[in-house]
Amino acid sequence: MLLAFEIELRQNMTDGFVLFGILIQPLIVAFMALWMLKGKGPDYAIFVVVGSGMTGLWTTLLFNGGNSITGERWTGTLEPLVASPASLRVVIYGKVLANVLQSLLSMIGSYLLISLIFGYPLTLSRPWLFFISLFVSVVSLVSFGLILASFFILIPDFARMVNTLEFPVYILGGFLFPIALLPGWTTPLSYILTPYWAAVALHGAAQGTLGTWQIVGTWGIMLAFSVVYVLASGRLYRVILRKARTDATLDIVGS
Amino acid sequence: MLNHLTANIRIFFEGAYYSYRALFRWLRPATYLASKVFAPLTMMIFFVYIGAYASGSNNASFYVIGNSLIFAASSGIFGVTMSVGGERWSGTLPYLFGSPANRWAMFVGRAVMHILDGMLGVFIGLGWGILLFGLDFSHTDPMALLLAILITTFSTSGLGLLMGCLSLITRNVMLVNNTVYFSLLVFSGANIPVAELPRWMQSISQMLPLTRGVACTRTIINGGSLADVLPLLQVEFLIGVMLTILGYFLFKVFEIQAKKKGTLDIF
Repeated sequence: MLLAFEIELRQNMTDGFVLFGILIQPLIVAFMALWMLKGKGPDYAIFVVVGSGMTGLWTTLLFNGGNSITGERWTGTLEPLVASPASLRVVIYGKVLANVLQSLLSMIGSYLLISLIFGYPLTLSRPWLFFISLFVSVVSLVSFGLILASFFILIPDFARMVNTLEFPVYILGGFLFPIALLPGWTTPLSYILTPYWAAVALHGAAQGTLGTWQIVGTWGIMLAFSVVYVLASGRLYRVILRKARTDATLDIVGS
Repeated sequence: MLNHLTANIRIFFEGAYYSYRALFRWLRPATYLASKVFAPLTMMIFFVYIGAYASGSNNASFYVIGNSLIFAASSGIFGVTMSVGGERWSGTLPYLFGSPANRWAMFVGRAVMHILDGMLGVFIGLGWGILLFGLDFSHTDPMALLLAILITTFSTSGLGLLMGCLSLITRNVMLVNNTVYFSLLVFSGANIPVAELPRWMQSISQMLPLTRGVACTRTIINGGSLADVLPLLQVEFLIGVMLTILGYFLFKVFEIQAKKKGTLDIF
């Protein structure tokens, strides 16, 4: 897992699209949100830092974490990977972990932009709760990434439709506005998304708008989701490998 | 003379048609619709709701119009860039540069379908605006609106042609394209009024395509006449022409350099 983590990290450093998703896009979103949300109270700058950071996190998870298996297929390394004694799921976990940890640079970049360049005072109301929330969010999002990566293989049109999934999660995740503004029927959709709970925990801890037990509650939900994702991914990866061996489609792109 | 003209017109329209078809043929209709209709809608909703959170839902039309016009930039930048740069990726650039075809017809033709596609995207965006956010067209001059959208789409396609040339000399074309596209979200006034930006950013806004198009479209939808926006539209058109000429110039320079150095297919 650590080797997969390291290689993914090194590859991402030279990929312009990854750098765009991690650094440029979240900074542009942060800048716009900062301008648009002026006058939303004293804590709005830290709200923008967390929200725009979450957009970078989700974009990276979706495009890079999601492509973890298909990327190997494109480079012709999926067959040796599957043939090796290491579990494919563990390797993919390492790759997604690298993507998610790297995407935390989005939040750091937004923090530096808003704090140093625009001169806004930024303070975390409850720093310990924030950093624990960040840790739990990473665990939960990486687990979610395992499922996403399998969808790219199991659902032929998923990779082509992936562009359509970026902004819906920005919206349903309540990254930069409360989901209470959305129509009521969308609320259950938010509740089943782990990025939403990550945003709730991080915004709540950063701004101090949630009590300790409320934040602990979101950790519980994210960890429960993580367990479900990891268990489900075991089944999904078995299906992928069995299907690929039966149909001999392991290295066939688009199958 | 007449034969030359006929051949150039044929190259212009065939290039337009085939480059567009090559770009989207691999998509299934559902996937195409998802990327043309659903994805832009979600981006619009995201910014409309941030705007609503910031200043109340009464201001939704500001964001709906701004983000609808962004769809023009989406076709103009990504579509046109990939139509030009895609020749390199698909290995057809040597044949293209080896042919005696008129370069101007070949180059500018790449933008035609994307201008129509971009206009369709803007109409879809405005349609979503009517359906979801009650965008009011009761005071709108439809012909003026059509002209504003056409000119705005043309000017962003000019930027796309320029970016397409850059895609012939860089590997990180998606990085450049996405950065330009997202920068337009900031600088064009689609989501932040240009007048509220710092002075140096306003100067950049004024040099870019889309800025005047967004302003004109807002004025027209809010009841302004064609005469009110004509001076701005003229400048928007001029920016499009200048970007197209600059793109064509770079296209020629790239062709000469690539032939001289033998780097047509080298990434």
